Amino acid sequence: MQTRRMANVYRQYWRINILTTLEYRENFLIWFLFTFIYHGTAIASLWIVLERFPSMNGWNFRDMFFLYALWMVAHALHNTFFSTVGEIPDHIRDGEFDRLLVRPLDTLFQAIATPGQVFPDELVLALITFVAATLYSGVHVDAVFIIFVPLIVIGGALIDLGLNLIISTAAFWFVKVDALRWIFIQLEQEFTRYPLSIYSRSVRLLLTFVFPFAFMNYFPASYFLHKHEAALGVPPAAGLLTPVIGIVFVALAYVFWRFGLNRYQGVGH
Amino acid sequence: MAREATYRFDVFTTVGSFVVRVYLLRMVWTALYAHNAAPKDLSRHEIITYSTVALLMGIVMDIDQTRALNDKLRDGSIATDFMKPINVPLYFFADGTGEVLFHAALLVPSVLIALLIFHIIVPGPAVLAAFLLSFFLGYLVGFFLNFILNCTSFWTLEISAVQLIVTWLTDLLGGELIPLILFPAVLQQFIYVLPFAAMFSTPLLIYVGQIPPARYGEVMGLQLLWIVVLGAVSAVMWRAGARRVVVQGG
Repeated sequence: MQTRRMANVYRQYWRINILTTLEYRENFLIWFLFTFIYHGTAIASLWIVLERFPSMNGWNFRDMFFLYALWMVAHALHNTFFSTVGEIPDHIRDGEFDRLLVRPLDTLFQAIATPGQVFPDELVLALITFVAATLYSGVHVDAVFIIFVPLIVIGGALIDLGLNLIISTAAFWFVKVDALRWIFIQLEQEFTRYPLSIYSRSVRLLLTFVFPFAFMNYFPASYFLHKHEAALGVPPAAGLLTPVIGIVFVALAYVFWRFGLNRYQGVGH
Repeated sequence: MAREATYRFDVFTTVGSFVVRVYLLRMVWTALYAHNAAPKDLSRHEIITYSTVALLMGIVMDIDQTRALNDKLRDGSIATDFMKPINVPLYFFADGTGEVLFHAALLVPSVLIALLIFHIIVPGPAVLAAFLLSFFLGYLVGFFLNFILNCTSFWTLEISAVQLIVTWLTDLLGGELIPLILFPAVLQQFIYVLPFAAMFSTPLLIYVGQIPPARYGEVMGLQLLWIVVLGAVSAVMWRAGARRVVVQGG
């Protein structure tokens, strides 16, 4: 019964999103252009640098393009389905969040299904980029690739969701978490662009075990591109563990969320 | 100033993000220099200095000094500004510069970290003076570019996406991320036709000595030219915009 109601709400959520996008078509186009330029300049920067310096710890432009594209799909998948989690702090600040608490559906689910102007344009762009990067990098597409890539992408999106949820949960204690979010987003977006092996040991440990961004793209890409760098002495097949890491990370984030939710007193509206 | 002073948290964010980014760029350039033939006249230490100074400049340059214009057009308060006995564009310049000076204060801890912990190269006083002058000219180029973008909100009210796009393009094509002299020859041809190089690249190349004193006149002359051109465009757009103030629901 509960699941059926949730499915219904979720369908309505997407209906409203799509109608909103169609209503503000110009706005949509300009934000799409923004997404395009954002990823475009990131890839162009890699190309420019690697044109001048052909190797980065043994990774050439083709490898780095694949590395970026793998992160991009996971990140876009997260943005498409879970970007609304990042708006929880705003709801808490303006008191809107308290309304979710008194309704007879799971609070986190309601927060995820709060309509806005979400559209899967970035995901489509990411998929196209990923196919291009796969062909261009000459990765061997075999059964393991076809089975594991979707799982790795979902796992990567869950890692993103875990981080998003942890930061939003912090808003139960601190009213403004924008700065915190900004630092972590930067950490994720810029540090996943390069092979983990260029960093010092402590940063490698941080990006593997504390905030496991390296599992979004570095470890799986190393596996598919046959880079045996053994950063941290992890065997190459560890790259296939991303789905497990994603589930564990999101579960930990959810425990933290429940903890924060139980203690939440409202901001005094 | 009170508006700005409330953002005490900014200090923490600015310094924190600066340290993280300097760490990243050091690791990136170190890895690149370790595995490839280095460019002949730009050592690893010089390029790390270049990128660190670029980040410091970015703290000041990335502020949208004329954002107030867009805000005031949205909420309609621009109407009362037109009634006041002041020169409105000059008011925006003064207001924006106040914000920039506040951010310049944020710069102090970051500069100290760059000097004492990261040991960036410090050029002689003459080069340093030329750098500061060129940086100021670059700031003016950036100011007019922002002013033009904000003036477009006389016609369309949603401009934040366009501004972000221009910011990404400036970071890349202005040489903030990668020195323009390392760009492939194909791109070199048209980067210099755009105003972005006048904002970051010129002062930075002066700082690391890639532009010798003999060429200071030429490069700063080009910066001045951009200031004149963009200033003229700003003036035209401001007049046209002010004549048809369409205040949304004000």
